Amino acid sequence: MNGRAITSDALLGMIPIVLLVAIWQALISFGYAPITLLPPPGQVFSRMVQQLLTTSFQQEIAATLFRLFTGFSIAVILGVAIGLAAAVNPTINTVVRPIVRVLAPLPKVALYPALLLLVGFGHESKILLVTFDALFPILLATYHGASTVEQKLIWSAMAAGTPPREVLFKVVLPAAAPSILTGCRIGLVISCIVVFLAEMITSTDGLGHALVTAARTFQAVDMFVPLITISLVGLILNGLLELTRSYLLRGFPEA
Amino acid sequence: MIEIDGVSQVFQTSARQDHLALSNISLTIEDGAFVSILGPSGCGKSTLLYIVGGFVRPTAGVASMKGRAITGPGPDRGPVFQEFALFPWKSVLGNVMYGPRQQGIKRPDAEAQSRALIEMVGLKGFEDFYPKELSGGMKQRVALARTLAYHPEVLLMDEPFGALDAHTRTRLQNDLLNIWERDRKTVLFVTHSVEEAVFLSDKVVMMTRSPGRVREIIDIDLPRPRHRTELLLDPRYQKYIVEIERMFDDSGDDELR
Repeated sequence: MNGRAITSDALLGMIPIVLLVAIWQALISFGYAPITLLPPPGQVFSRMVQQLLTTSFQQEIAATLFRLFTGFSIAVILGVAIGLAAAVNPTINTVVRPIVRVLAPLPKVALYPALLLLVGFGHESKILLVTFDALFPILLATYHGASTVEQKLIWSAMAAGTPPREVLFKVVLPAAAPSILTGCRIGLVISCIVVFLAEMITSTDGLGHALVTAARTFQAVDMFVPLITISLVGLILNGLLELTRSYLLRGFPEA
Repeated sequence: MIEIDGVSQVFQTSARQDHLALSNISLTIEDGAFVSILGPSGCGKSTLLYIVGGFVRPTAGVASMKGRAITGPGPDRGPVFQEFALFPWKSVLGNVMYGPRQQGIKRPDAEAQSRALIEMVGLKGFEDFYPKELSGGMKQRVALARTLAYHPEVLLMDEPFGALDAHTRTRLQNDLLNIWERDRKTVLFVTHSVEEAVFLSDKVVMMTRSPGRVREIIDIDLPRPRHRTELLLDPRYQKYIVEIERMFDDSGDDELR
């Protein structure tokens, strides 16, 4: 794709976002929503710029990002490790499969009260919840990718002298990379949602906490700032993951 | 020398029934010979190749190389598959260098050897391309170079040109023969094309359909180096082809083309 096509695609993609902001503004301009409850977008954006420059708000972002990254990273490491192990070892698969089936459909946020009681109100409870929630899509995608690696790739490597125990890292892992990265992408979106949710439920800091505090004190403008901030954070993180993905998968067809 | 002694292969079908794919195959392949295994689809000819490769264990019988039973894959036997099976995450150079690096050859040496091989298969200038950027014929050239790179004593070719168009196929057959003429490695070549088998081989092993048995072994006594245009006019070449096709006609193996 050439540069001009990318630019025009980006412009086309902006249309719904602009439209959404326009509807938001229209709701206020035509008097459907009182300004005290739904502040106009201009006011929210200028407040956001102002907030982004304050240390206290930056600390809220930092707290959220730290939990997000740590939880997501642990989920990636565990998910890839367990998924790979289950795909290549039938015994591990037999052990792992039932518990994955039981836990995967569970709404993990239901574990949050228990986590709070067990590990407290600090970072740990949020990180654990993010890990729990992001783990399963990554694990399942890794398992699927690793168990459908083309047999002849493995044979080619073994004939070239790769010992069986090295096939896992030299063939299975790179061959499963497209699936793994798709799982990571889903896991990352879930992580963004869950960290915010956990902070909204019970927290002493973070973007979710900032939103709830503002809502409880009827500060409508301050309520919208964390909301837009977390969507921007999600957008940037997803963009970074996409860059990583297209670099790692540069040799794969349809990547 | 490769010896296949009383090899049978039974597969379990999805309905949990036993399917006899190969029945009591015995075959000797001399060093330096170009041997084709010719048969209709589903006759188990690829399975026989996988057994020699050590990828599949025979249900009964033994395949051995230089008097030692084959128990697994090894760099003395290099496969080339119809599906190319190139590593998509590696460039052309990366794919070809894989074998030498696995053999413990230092990177600069492995790279020099690999570049020379890439040039030999006619892909100079494509070293940094990824497999997805190449045509089918080019991919199969890379796959051949990747296998030649670890110096196998035997090449195991599993319908290597089966997925290519007629023109590309002819060119690759010629190039394969030219490469083979240089060091005369043992080649075991699976195909369902009578012309391809006769053109390339010293010996054609004809197989019957399901269960696969050796039906006939035909020595191809044609001079080398072989040139397609000369052979096409050669009555001996024509006679081999007609003879083999008739044998398959008799057995009703009409799928063989």
